[in-house]
Amino acid sequence: MATSQAVLAQALPAASPVASSSGVSQRKPASAALAAPFKGSLAGLRCESNGAVVAKSSRLGVDIGIVKEAAGRSIARRAVVTASASATEPKNILMMGGTRFIGLFLARELVKAGHQVTLFTRGKAPITQQLPGESDEEFADYSSKVKHLQGDRQDFDGLKEKLKGTNFNIVYDINGREGKEVEPILESLPGLEQYIFCSSAGVYLKSDQLPHFEVDAVDPKSRHKGKLDTETLLQSKGVAWTSIRPVYIYGPLNYNPVEEWFFHRLKEGRPIPVPNSGMQITQLGHVKDLARAFVEVLKNEKAYNQIYNISGAKYVTFDGIAKACAKAGGFPEPQIVHYNPKDFDFGKKKAFPLRDQHFFTSVEKAEKELDFTPEFGLVEGLTDSYNLDFGRGTFRKAADFSTDDMILEKLGIKTAVAA
Amino acid sequence: MAMAQSIASLSLGATAQLQGTSASGSAASGSARPSLSLRSNATGFSSQAHFTGSFGLSWSVQGNGLSRSERRHGAVLAVRAAAGEKKNVLIVNTNSGGHAVIGFWTAKDLVAAGHSVTILTVGEESSDKMKKQPFSRFNELREIGVQTVWGEPSDLGAALGNIQAPFDVVLDNNGKTLDVVQPVADWAKANGAKQILFISSAGIYKSSFEQPHVEGDAVKEDAGHKLVENYLADLGLESWASFRPQYMTGDGNNKDCEEWFFDRISRDRPVCIPAPGIQVTNISHVRDLSSMLTLAVEKPEAANGSIFNCCSDRGTTFDGLVKMCAKAAGKEAKIVHYDPKAAGVDAKKAFPFRNMHFYAEPRAAKTKLGWESKTNLAEDLKERYQEYVKIGRDKKDIKFELDDKILEAVSEPVAA
Repeated sequence: MATSQAVLAQALPAASPVASSSGVSQRKPASAALAAPFKGSLAGLRCESNGAVVAKSSRLGVDIGIVKEAAGRSIARRAVVTASASATEPKNILMMGGTRFIGLFLARELVKAGHQVTLFTRGKAPITQQLPGESDEEFADYSSKVKHLQGDRQDFDGLKEKLKGTNFNIVYDINGREGKEVEPILESLPGLEQYIFCSSAGVYLKSDQLPHFEVDAVDPKSRHKGKLDTETLLQSKGVAWTSIRPVYIYGPLNYNPVEEWFFHRLKEGRPIPVPNSGMQITQLGHVKDLARAFVEVLKNEKAYNQIYNISGAKYVTFDGIAKACAKAGGFPEPQIVHYNPKDFDFGKKKAFPLRDQHFFTSVEKAEKELDFTPEFGLVEGLTDSYNLDFGRGTFRKAADFSTDDMILEKLGIKTAVAA
Repeated sequence: MAMAQSIASLSLGATAQLQGTSASGSAASGSARPSLSLRSNATGFSSQAHFTGSFGLSWSVQGNGLSRSERRHGAVLAVRAAAGEKKNVLIVNTNSGGHAVIGFWTAKDLVAAGHSVTILTVGEESSDKMKKQPFSRFNELREIGVQTVWGEPSDLGAALGNIQAPFDVVLDNNGKTLDVVQPVADWAKANGAKQILFISSAGIYKSSFEQPHVEGDAVKEDAGHKLVENYLADLGLESWASFRPQYMTGDGNNKDCEEWFFDRISRDRPVCIPAPGIQVTNISHVRDLSSMLTLAVEKPEAANGSIFNCCSDRGTTFDGLVKMCAKAAGKEAKIVHYDPKAAGVDAKKAFPFRNMHFYAEPRAAKTKLGWESKTNLAEDLKERYQEYVKIGRDKKDIKFELDDKILEAVSEPVAA
């Protein structure tokens, strides 16, 4: 069965099993309480809880869907048929990156869907690593199928050499940063059918009116300028392209200390210092949902030359993340401490992992056009991350409470545990 | 497929009949629409082959531009296109407060879409409340054929008097509690209404650290509006729906919204905003609400059994709203943040909006009705400011006692 499902089944033994939407064969209905799964020619049907059947115009080919009920929602349950993306013929996929976070999950989904996947990396990180919760068989299967092309994408001439005559027809650019990085790839792959790019919602111009929609103004001066340049460049080329703009990605093996930052403090029973009011609203998106979205756009004509925000269905305040992480890890209600960052000089250190502003997007375009529905609620998703990663004792960045201590000292707050 | 047949059987122009006079008084001459409003005074139409948004096909015509053929002596299959059938709508409207303007705009939108409307305002026509907008402008409604009456929702029969036409739809834009809405709902059912729409409130959502308020989220179960929703759900009408609005701006508003900001900005006064100023709320132009309600009237099956957040699809922060109002007035925004407790003021009196994130999104309307938000606050506020100045409100003598109290408290040195 799909890795993510197995992983989830292990992570949430008490919750009802959640169906993964990827893969073609061996589909099982998630639970007896759900309506019968649709198959074959009834492509892309959505069954709403009030009985209405919504026919969505489906993509070419046969979609196999599963009716899934959102676990844990006590009201208005919405049964959704999540369409599989596997209806397309097998593709020869080049993935730039794929060994760190998003790509780990995405590459597996693509391999399971029957595509040939080649990861282009410098080889610094292991090409394949067994994911927490992944069975030995699954890992062996994946390892035997995924390919690797070693190289440095910043070496444009070297890159072109390596790509010459390779016949990749799809590119997933997961780690691209600058527009100029796209050119050598496009030049080398004349048979390219689609260039799928991992951009960032960080390109949006900060606004008092939210959420950000794909049509909103972007900020040519943002830290993510390179992502924006890449989108612009792709738009100017003839190839079909799709750009995905995630917000904050979280999930097991996250190398950006989002949930990890909170878990470190919760584990030590430390107060959680949140800048200013803690009312800043942001949005977390589970990496597995993001991977599914990336699979959804593959050879999806609707997605050609389109940009999609991909993240969780709901937003959350900074204070809320602290509370949600506490719930996820089974910690008591956290003590949250607010401070004015202007009163401190933290030097080069980051006192808080998230940008100090409202930052959230609407994912309705993806929901409408791609039949994408985020599977993970916030607490569910953080629980998945905790159970598969931090809760097992693994993390990327060691705890550093130096800025916390500065804050607590100034505010005259003692930590429960001696430093 | 029946759809193809229906398209083939639609006829325009020559075969359409001009509407004769009907008791509802919505003579074709009163509206700007061409002669496409067919209505049988004899029997109603069978509502088979009902094409609504629930098939995901955008059958998005809004009542004009589509005619339908009648079944006459076994001629052509009667097809009710989603927007083609004319409805007779009764709006029971509150006589004051923020929601009053909803009935005014919805009446207009419904008439523009080809429906006939009666608006019953609670209370008496002679009451002082009727001197305020939108009531003072009800002549605009009568001019387009809306019947305006006054009375008590507890006895609609008496209030409606001579108005004969059975109502297809009853929209309650008045009650906040079951004791007030129940007689309206019961009367609607007893008198053959097929659909009841209720204006509820987004204020019944329970607070959570997650945002926004989405249809289906937990609400305060004992809230009056919720009890009404429960009652309507069990009433057994063909179609019911509840609409939960937030704050509104727009022409004809009975309650101040942006005016509170304009009062200060136009006088070059600082605008006092409860800290931190990043609270997010939703200010919709009332046309977003009236368009949503009109769609629900035209798509009763798609709307049935649903809660709809009745608001625009963007939130704004308090500070952001001040900046937009200032820009609309061509002025610089001057914002002062304060802590209500420290300043010794009641935030509810000192500021027009709830001092918290209060932000709902209209997700159900988009997916179920194919509705789109048209609120563009930056533009809408420009219009509102022009109106504000036109009526001379910028010259009005207003006292700013609470503001002054806040400013004094804020300017005092803060204890170290």
